[in-house]
Amino acid sequence: MVTVRISRWRLGLTLGALLVAVGLAAPAVTTAAPTAAAQGGTVLRVALTKQVDSVNPFLSITQAGTELGRLMYEFLTTYDAKDQHPVPALAEKWETSQDKLTWTYTIRSGVRWSDGQPLTAKDVAFTFNLMLTNDVARTANGNFVANFDSVSAPDDRTVVIRTKTPQATMLALDVPIVPEHVWSKVTDIAGYTNDTTPVVGNGPFVLTEYRANESIRFKANKDYWRGAPHYDELDFVIYKNADAATQALIKGEVDLINRLGPGQYDSLKNAANVTLNPAKGRRFNELLFNPGAATSTGVPIGDGNPALRDVKVRQALAKAFNLKDIVSKVAGGYAEPGGGLIPPVFVSYHWQPDASQARSFDPAAANRELDAAGYPRGAGGIRQGPDGKPLTLRLLGHNGTAFDEQTAPYIKQWLSDVGVDVTVQLVSDSQVNEITSGGKYDLAFSGWGANPDPDYILSLHTCSQRPNADGKGGTTDSFLCDPQYDALYTQQLAEFDQAKRAELVKQAQQRFYDLAVGVVLDYDNSLEAYRKDRFADFQVQPDPGGVIMAQNGYWGYYSARPVAGAASSGGGNAGPVIGIAAGAVVVLAVLAFLFARRRRATSAERE
Amino acid sequence: MKAFWREFVRNRSGVAGLAVLALMVALALLAPVLTDRVGLDVTRAQFPRWQPPAADYWLGTDHTGRSVLLQTWWGARVSLTVGVAATLLSVGVGSVVGLAAAHFGGWLSGLLMRVTDFFLALPALVLAICLSTVLPRGIGTIVLAIGATAWPATARLVRAQTLAVEARPYIERAKVLGGGHLHIIGRHVLPGVFPLVLVNTTLTVASAIIAESTLSFLGLGDPGLVSWGSMLHEATLHGAVSQGAWWFLLPPGLGIVLVVLAFTLCGRALETVLNPRLRVS
Amino acid sequence: MTAALVTAEEPPAPPQGRPGGGTLRYVAGKLGGAAVSLLSVVVLGFVLFRVVYPGDPVLAMTHNRPATAAQQDELRARLGLDRSVPHQFLDYVRGLLHGDMGTSYTFSRPVTDKILESLGPTLLLVGTATVLATILGLWLGIRGAWRRGSRFDRTSTGIALTLWSAPTFWLGMLLLIATGQLFPSGGIRYPDTPPDFLSQAVDVAHHLVLPCVTLIAVIYAQYLLVMRSSLLEEMNADYLTTARAKGLRDDLVRRRHAVPNALLPAMTLVFLQLGLVVSGAITVETVFSWPGLGLLTYEALEAPDLPLLQGLLVVFGGAVIVMNLLADLLYRVLDPRVRAS
Repeated sequence: MVTVRISRWRLGLTLGALLVAVGLAAPAVTTAAPTAAAQGGTVLRVALTKQVDSVNPFLSITQAGTELGRLMYEFLTTYDAKDQHPVPALAEKWETSQDKLTWTYTIRSGVRWSDGQPLTAKDVAFTFNLMLTNDVARTANGNFVANFDSVSAPDDRTVVIRTKTPQATMLALDVPIVPEHVWSKVTDIAGYTNDTTPVVGNGPFVLTEYRANESIRFKANKDYWRGAPHYDELDFVIYKNADAATQALIKGEVDLINRLGPGQYDSLKNAANVTLNPAKGRRFNELLFNPGAATSTGVPIGDGNPALRDVKVRQALAKAFNLKDIVSKVAGGYAEPGGGLIPPVFVSYHWQPDASQARSFDPAAANRELDAAGYPRGAGGIRQGPDGKPLTLRLLGHNGTAFDEQTAPYIKQWLSDVGVDVTVQLVSDSQVNEITSGGKYDLAFSGWGANPDPDYILSLHTCSQRPNADGKGGTTDSFLCDPQYDALYTQQLAEFDQAKRAELVKQAQQRFYDLAVGVVLDYDNSLEAYRKDRFADFQVQPDPGGVIMAQNGYWGYYSARPVAGAASSGGGNAGPVIGIAAGAVVVLAVLAFLFARRRRATSAERE
Repeated sequence: MKAFWREFVRNRSGVAGLAVLALMVALALLAPVLTDRVGLDVTRAQFPRWQPPAADYWLGTDHTGRSVLLQTWWGARVSLTVGVAATLLSVGVGSVVGLAAAHFGGWLSGLLMRVTDFFLALPALVLAICLSTVLPRGIGTIVLAIGATAWPATARLVRAQTLAVEARPYIERAKVLGGGHLHIIGRHVLPGVFPLVLVNTTLTVASAIIAESTLSFLGLGDPGLVSWGSMLHEATLHGAVSQGAWWFLLPPGLGIVLVVLAFTLCGRALETVLNPRLRVS
Repeated sequence: MTAALVTAEEPPAPPQGRPGGGTLRYVAGKLGGAAVSLLSVVVLGFVLFRVVYPGDPVLAMTHNRPATAAQQDELRARLGLDRSVPHQFLDYVRGLLHGDMGTSYTFSRPVTDKILESLGPTLLLVGTATVLATILGLWLGIRGAWRRGSRFDRTSTGIALTLWSAPTFWLGMLLLIATGQLFPSGGIRYPDTPPDFLSQAVDVAHHLVLPCVTLIAVIYAQYLLVMRSSLLEEMNADYLTTARAKGLRDDLVRRRHAVPNALLPAMTLVFLQLGLVVSGAITVETVFSWPGLGLLTYEALEAPDLPLLQGLLVVFGGAVIVMNLLADLLYRVLDPRVRAS
């Protein structure tokens, strides 16, 4: 065998190369220059557990991204903190023409952009016209301008918007207004990340630093037209899971967190200096029954079980579900049992069946009604249809969605108790959409987050939302097509009197409830917590019982006040010293040991 | 065979591994006899949520009030099944590819080894993640994803060993005497390759079980089944760390460590016995 | 860890061909092979995410927010999803050649940008962990082999095997609980650390400790085992007996002859097992919210964000293929036996 000698320097070279690679990587993460280090100021640190897709307000579609947009850019109108009715923001007043097609907004004077330029009606018109002319700019909020005919600014304080048909959401235009003098220079909206600081805005906070996947920093806008926020800096720290965020709150690394699971929330009950906020949320979960899917031209599609076309069967099945159990067992008690489509957080539009109308949990009644509907029990206790086949239903849900995964066994159990066999199919989100939009389901989980304006949620159940003749382009949720429901929907859309509109909205929800094409299972609470030793006076929306984060507005962050005497910066400052010291000791010990051995070896060699 | 066994018994850690494995497999097989499956059904959960270990539930309860002990016990069945099934798949595919590449040679060998090297180079977990994402979720997909990423190592090994065996003079003689491919492979090559494949199988089961737990932890497992990985997934999802629920985190993790370690020790012991080069001289 | 623990891994196959066949030819062959592999990764990714994957991504993207059928079509056209599959493939390859891997569905950003953003933290974590794990593993392996069968050898091998048997993410979670308040619960640095280099470096190092320790704990075992067995084999070699017979002291023989020779397979392994380290990084980054490629993978598979996953597969696959190529070439440079054959 040939003797092989690899000189030590070659090995050293290899290791050295690896170290150099590391060394090159290190500056890449450490030297991104922060622009505004608010030394000594008060900082509100917020944990974000949801992805921020973009801080370009025209592109951001995730809730977290939209929420950051609300801090940077003001809207024409915003939603009141107490009851979420539209209140003036950039538009101090407005009027509509007789035919409800022309809206004239008067823009507040004296508002300035964060770079000192005055904000005028021209900026507003520019924003809307950009969306009308550029399809990429319509990515996030295109639905608000789809019905717009024209937008103009006859003078610096007036904006005139003409719509093609009357539009009820004209005081709920969730479109951030951007500065024309910045955005007119942007040629490629899709490629514009909008994170080159300072980002010119007009909201209560100004974006000063954006580190993707790490943190997003804002400084208080001292010239904000409502008055400067009560603290200096607002930092969002990104965590991948609620557990990590919970730990960070306990350790004092962050001051405010939301989207807690029941487990994390309960674990904070005994934590020192933490206040909990079990807020009402805007999300609901529902279970859909396929009522006989069809295209907008009425041609049946899909392969839904024919038994579900019978409204009596659907109503009977709905009585088999114990909604209180879902609240207590799946949601850990942090939810409310379902009723109408609009969650109770929207007080004026929410509808809950009264005792005479409500379908309470009653398996005996469900059994009776299914017998009467022509589905007697057959072999093995499974009901049989008129065709003699056992009544077996597929239950479709999203894998990876905790609610679907946890609720599916309950639904299966409850339906089995009334003689209906269920096979559970949990598939990816896009497959759920594919299957449901093709009508190839019997039972399916669905869920929505409602907006202060009920239009969108209600529109999901109208005839016209069903797919076109080719079976494409459907945006229906339930494949419902009911003349009475459609009539109520159309009427509420054209009704500009709030009280009357609310009444129509409730009637539509009642109709949906009676037809039982879907059962609203529960309204999730939005679980939040904050450090009471650091900040106080968070304005919730709605008040009382509402959320601090994920509002339809900026009230929660804007109103917060630092607690007197609180440390300017949370925990984690003693930590590094201890950690580094410990690390250094270990490294030194290893080096010393190695060195000692080496010495011994060399001395042996010298002998 | 007797000599083999005597040799194996001398390896203390190998025997320990084998004993642990035997115990685990026995427990997993006996689960339906000794315990009641109903306790896994969330709708029938009868205990309070997040309880530390107590007399009624020796390893505490989870976020739904089910016994952690019962889940760990039944989880062993799924984890072991997936581990073994994925291994059989990968060893089967790997052996066939390796044998074919070595025995037939020529362009087929070149092509097969090209493909093998390609899959060997891909980071296994990344490929498994991609496969589990695009295929329908379920235990079959997990087995396929792990099996599809683990076979190239076996193929390389089997090919090398087959080449070594076929270089021996008696194979040449068998060929000259007119032995067909099947005869040569069946009578001469397989017996020569089998020991290595056995070692490789044992080690592959170990990594397949870890792979299963990793995929399940990332939320790519079968939502209808309880495995050790899916328990850890649920534990993170529902805040076991925040709750300080060590009793929900430790058992499934320790189960994985024990089984994987046992398989590894067995594999190493087998290797020592079968590969005299490593034996203490 | 998903690759079988290799105890007697064969080194990369010695180059085939005529003895003394030109180095150039060898390098060209390796380069060609790597190129074919790279192309295969691209094809594989495309087939998986554009052909095998069921479901319309546009429906998933527009779910739960107002979008008309017209808006959906607009989006489909913008993403190029309205074209035929072969056309889409050509588009993809054309884009790749310009460094364009498409647009992420969840971030509305170019996939290339997202991957570049996350590259630094992953290199830092994986690089530090690999270097430290190599040093630790080789050192323990050498000591173990030298004193084979001693209590030290058995203990260190036992610990290494046990740690290797633990799922990375589980180890990370336990570490997180065990260290309590000592280290941050996740991320790479605090947002309001002063911007000077020293404070930033200290902060990052502080955040790096737990993920790095977790990764090292799981990967050092293989370096240890390979170094140990390769040294054992080397110590039985004839020339060592000769050396000893010449009267050289055991210690000297070990350090001068055995260790350097045994290092070769171990160093090759560092490159070959990079895929393993990458796998470990995915779960470690997920547990510690470390903003690297692993965390990006986790985020991408949640949605699932197909173009991003596709891009990550290409990048991970490509990185490992390139590393293997380097290992092959390096091996040839370092080992005269290979060169001579």
